[in-house]
Amino acid sequence: MNRFHLPDLGVGVGLRTVHYSHILGTQPSVDWFEALSENYLDTGGRPRFVLEKIAEQYPIVLHGVSMSIGGTDPIDFDYLRKLKALAATVNARWVSDHLCWTGVSGRNVHDLLPMPYNEESLRHTAERVKIVSDFLECPLVIENPSSYVEFASSTMTEWDFLAALAQESDCGLLLDVNNIYVSSFNHSFDPNVYVDAIPADRVVQVHLAGHTNHGTHIIDTHNDFVIDEVWQLYARACARTGNVSTLMEWDADIPDFETVHAEARKAEAFRTVSSGVLPAVADEVAYASV
Amino acid sequence: MPPSELALAPLQEWMQAVVTHPGDVYEAAEAAASDVDAIVLPSKTLQPIQRLGIYHGMYMLRMVEAMEADYAAVAHFLGEHAFGHLVEGYVQRFPSRSYTFNRLGDKLPGYVADSTIKQRTFLYDLARLELAMTQVFDEAEAEPLPADAIGTVPPESIEAIRFTPIPALRLLAFRYDANEAFQSFREGGQIRPRRGKSWLAVHRRDYSVYRTPLSQEAFTFLGSLVSGETIGSAIMTFRRRFRRLPEQQELFTWFRDWSAEGLFAAIAITE
Repeated sequence: MNRFHLPDLGVGVGLRTVHYSHILGTQPSVDWFEALSENYLDTGGRPRFVLEKIAEQYPIVLHGVSMSIGGTDPIDFDYLRKLKALAATVNARWVSDHLCWTGVSGRNVHDLLPMPYNEESLRHTAERVKIVSDFLECPLVIENPSSYVEFASSTMTEWDFLAALAQESDCGLLLDVNNIYVSSFNHSFDPNVYVDAIPADRVVQVHLAGHTNHGTHIIDTHNDFVIDEVWQLYARACARTGNVSTLMEWDADIPDFETVHAEARKAEAFRTVSSGVLPAVADEVAYASV
Repeated sequence: MPPSELALAPLQEWMQAVVTHPGDVYEAAEAAASDVDAIVLPSKTLQPIQRLGIYHGMYMLRMVEAMEADYAAVAHFLGEHAFGHLVEGYVQRFPSRSYTFNRLGDKLPGYVADSTIKQRTFLYDLARLELAMTQVFDEAEAEPLPADAIGTVPPESIEAIRFTPIPALRLLAFRYDANEAFQSFREGGQIRPRRGKSWLAVHRRDYSVYRTPLSQEAFTFLGSLVSGETIGSAIMTFRRRFRRLPEQQELFTWFRDWSAEGLFAAIAITE
């Protein structure tokens, strides 16, 4: 159990438009759904109607991509007000976003842009996480991003930065084990070290996804099945956190709902911590595949 | 301060300028006037400029994808290359300033009209139709007026009725038959611009978006009501415009259809 006493919701699926009719029509046996916050903030149309219907039957978590928690523009309180209202409407179990920035000077690039990991960024981001958590009246949950550059001005690793941020701002963590794998490939670090360094009692959720390997680098495309190495990282994370809310993301080339759900349910094989039995996996993910 | 020690704010300004630059990543880095190699580290396989190029390349792909979602018919008519070029210019002039993509394309019709693009008058109409559809899709839901609501008003008060339209309603007048072109696109056919004035109501009912063609007379009368005129005032506006009064049968048919389509949310009797 995490230190925030946020529940283990089981194994969930990211809510996507192409699956609306299937979910409403068949009410599949899914533990919970994660909804992309921004898709539901400024609409009174079908997406909002569907989300509210689904929230009547399933636990919902809100996951954002535009909070820009590491950005240097002022915090957008209009956005936060709408987010807080949406969270109340759908009884969101928690609200998460990414360790990143999404634009400056009033612009939104609509990407999860990387932070330099140094003291200035840490102080800046921790202060903003505290402000947002106070405003939302719940601990913000921060996800580790995939990244494709490293800055010369970084003075610490991403996992040290994330651990320090969690400590200083008292936030929860959404551990994306696919992102860890992607970044470990792109930046040549050992993903096992990353998983082992994360404060396990702050992890309230785990993300799983597929990616695209271009040989020289990996892009976090969410367009495929989870690869074995990422499952191994998931098992390693579960061994540290205990059973934790787990979610499958699939955002491009999205197959039918049953395929996505079946991929998500593979996680159940690793969620046996309470019985003390873990499935056989390699001890460590092979390091630095490039 | 050496570039590698850029403080957080200037670092983000620099990276955004590079990522959103309309040229290639080398031109972008040159325009941003900082030494990329001093700011970004190489990986085992990629140079700093190549790593930055991943973000640069994905930016425009995302913008085109988002705009194509809202302007699928415009994109289909122009083709991949021309639409991509249009979006490149558009987002330079009107970059996203919102946490959502939903309103990124709001200024595209005007941008097309002001451009030198071929068939811009037709594309302006087609873009306005697609914009109206996205707006109607996202508007607030409102309970439509019961079909018999007007029948409950005493005859002597009919002309004093003022309607409140549902939020999810847009009225459009075109110089081309944009609706016919859009329908052809929807059915997988070719989009052929056909000059000729046309009028359309775009509206939503039960979370589905509908396109209802209107006559010029119906468009004028409905437009008056939607803009807040009473029925009596709308009749006079109609008379000035068409030099005749609307016929009883016209009015009956219009109100029957508009009520069935749920275009009104409320009525009030003006004193």
